[in-house]
Amino acid sequence: MIETLLTPLQYEYMLKAIFVSAVIGGVCAFLSCFITLKGWSLMGDALSHSVVPGVAVAYYAGWPFAAGAFVTGLLAAVGMGFVKTKTRLREDAVIGVVFTAFFALGLLLISLYPSQVDLRSIVFGNILGISNPDIVQVLIISGVTLVVLGFKWRDLLLFCFDPNQARALGLNTTVLHFTLLTLLSATAVAALQTVGACLVVAMLVTPGATAYLLTDRFGKMIGIATSMGVGTSIVGAYASYFFDGSTGGCIVTLQSALFVAALVFAPKHGLIGQRARRRAAALGAGATEVPS
Amino acid sequence: MNPLSTEMSVRVSDVTVSYPNGNVALRAASFALEGGAICALVGVNGSGKSTLFKAIMGLLKPAAGTVTIAGRSVKAALKENLVAYVPQSEEVDWSFPVSVWDVVLMGRYGYMNFMRTPRAEDRRIAEESLARVGMLDFRERQIGELSGGQRKRVFLARALAQRGRVILLDEPFTGVDVNTETAIIALLRELRAAGHIILVSTHNLGSVPEFCDHVVLINRTVLAAGPIAEVFTEENLQRTFGGVLRHFRFDESTVQNHDGRAVTLLTDDERPLVFGKGGHVEYSKRAEHAEILKKRTESEGDD
Ligand SMILES: Nc1ncnc2c1ncn2[C@@H]1O[C@H](COP(=O)(O)OP(=O)(O)O)[C@@H](O)[C@H]1O
Ligand SMILES: [Mg+2]
Repeated sequence: MIETLLTPLQYEYMLKAIFVSAVIGGVCAFLSCFITLKGWSLMGDALSHSVVPGVAVAYYAGWPFAAGAFVTGLLAAVGMGFVKTKTRLREDAVIGVVFTAFFALGLLLISLYPSQVDLRSIVFGNILGISNPDIVQVLIISGVTLVVLGFKWRDLLLFCFDPNQARALGLNTTVLHFTLLTLLSATAVAALQTVGACLVVAMLVTPGATAYLLTDRFGKMIGIATSMGVGTSIVGAYASYFFDGSTGGCIVTLQSALFVAALVFAPKHGLIGQRARRRAAALGAGATEVPS
Repeated sequence: MNPLSTEMSVRVSDVTVSYPNGNVALRAASFALEGGAICALVGVNGSGKSTLFKAIMGLLKPAAGTVTIAGRSVKAALKENLVAYVPQSEEVDWSFPVSVWDVVLMGRYGYMNFMRTPRAEDRRIAEESLARVGMLDFRERQIGELSGGQRKRVFLARALAQRGRVILLDEPFTGVDVNTETAIIALLRELRAAGHIILVSTHNLGSVPEFCDHVVLINRTVLAAGPIAEVFTEENLQRTFGGVLRHFRFDESTVQNHDGRAVTLLTDDERPLVFGKGGHVEYSKRAEHAEILKKRTESEGDD
């Protein structure tokens, strides 16, 4: 029994996969706190799809995948900003149009040269087969993201909470906006490796959303989200060995399960807690009122 | 030059502001204020009050004209933490996971280091500011767990902690209980006495003569600006509101000579605004306006 449980750990590729997933899961979860509070979840989804043509081009050209992904990710972000200010379209329509345009272009490029890039690994991730240079790229992205968040989280928090106050204090909100956008694209690229373009948005939203249900303090929210990101990634990557299934699927299913648990059981903002409070309030009122 | 020792001033000259969609919200607006002053910004919804605030805070760049604060550009003034603002309640996400204490400390960011780590000095000032608005006991509360009046006071404490010398309040009395309104007004008077310039946007006309000394009347431009007694007249308000105001004219009402001045005016929520003969503003407390009484007595021969 124990022997079976330990089998995955005997393979170097499994250890690598677990380690890299944990790093990406933690960084994405940290960032997810800002993304959910800023209301950029849809933006995260959009960027994770928009990086696909960049990844494809980078693989043909032999560049680091992160570089290509990054360029198209930011192009998409700028494109969305441009279309939004120049037209009367609503933001969701703009995001929908722009990111599908990029994603479609990516699919087209990949299908034109199928031998060089594996469509499946981009769309669904392939952490079990991640190459060493790709690991290095992921680690660099994660390191830079952690450093920026570590130093600037208070500014970014204020930017999410009250951008006008940030301006009134003389902070450069344009820089903060693009910092958050850049971090979002960068982590989306990193997460692409583990869970694939389709599920990146889950890594960038679910941990933050879950933690938000569990606490009213930003510090705790980061702690909860990050532990959840790291934990689910380790367990998910490990478990995927036995299912022989999609690693991304495992990780995101775990995260979603935790989200549902929080939704139901969270002490204050969970469904059960809310109902208990409503009932308590009704009972309190019932003392003075005739129940109908 | 130390901004604390200089005279505060806000100068808006010929400012035109348009939004990216081409909508010109404010055209050639001008007025000037010297500290200390409490100035009301009065106009109907959509007249450009918030737009003017945004121009003063540097959130919108004027297409023409200039805003100067204490003789500096807006940008320089912001760098010196001269401008503080208290947002409209609707603009704040009250479910955001921050505590009262977190919010007040945000007022100190401009004084903190690169990482915004609060020093003992920042904590002391934040504590003092919270105490000043009577909210120290609530420091650990999440901001959504407060009443409307308490929320307003927390954001006022943030402005105090910032040590802003020009304080902008957007609709401060909407959704606020009477006690808080009184407390806020008392605090604003203290700040005026200390030389600050307070700009308050409001559509509650009756409260304007109660606590403001200056007024700026807005409708897509500045229609009139200056001291309350001169500018806050019936005629100017008619121009500002374009006939949407409701009236109760005593001379056309059933009020008779035997009622004299023993007439009581009641409103449920907002303070009443009363004009005398010729449309000059009347104040609710005689004792506080001896000068005006004297002037009017002289010109009209009344007591
Ligand atoms: N972001 C915006 N884009 C375009 N027009 C705007 C924007 N914000 C406000 N406006 C327009 O500018 C005018 C002034 O608005 P505002 O300054 O918010 O008025 P107030 O605060 O007095 O109610 C209004 O006609 C409003 O429709
Ligand atoms: Mg407004």
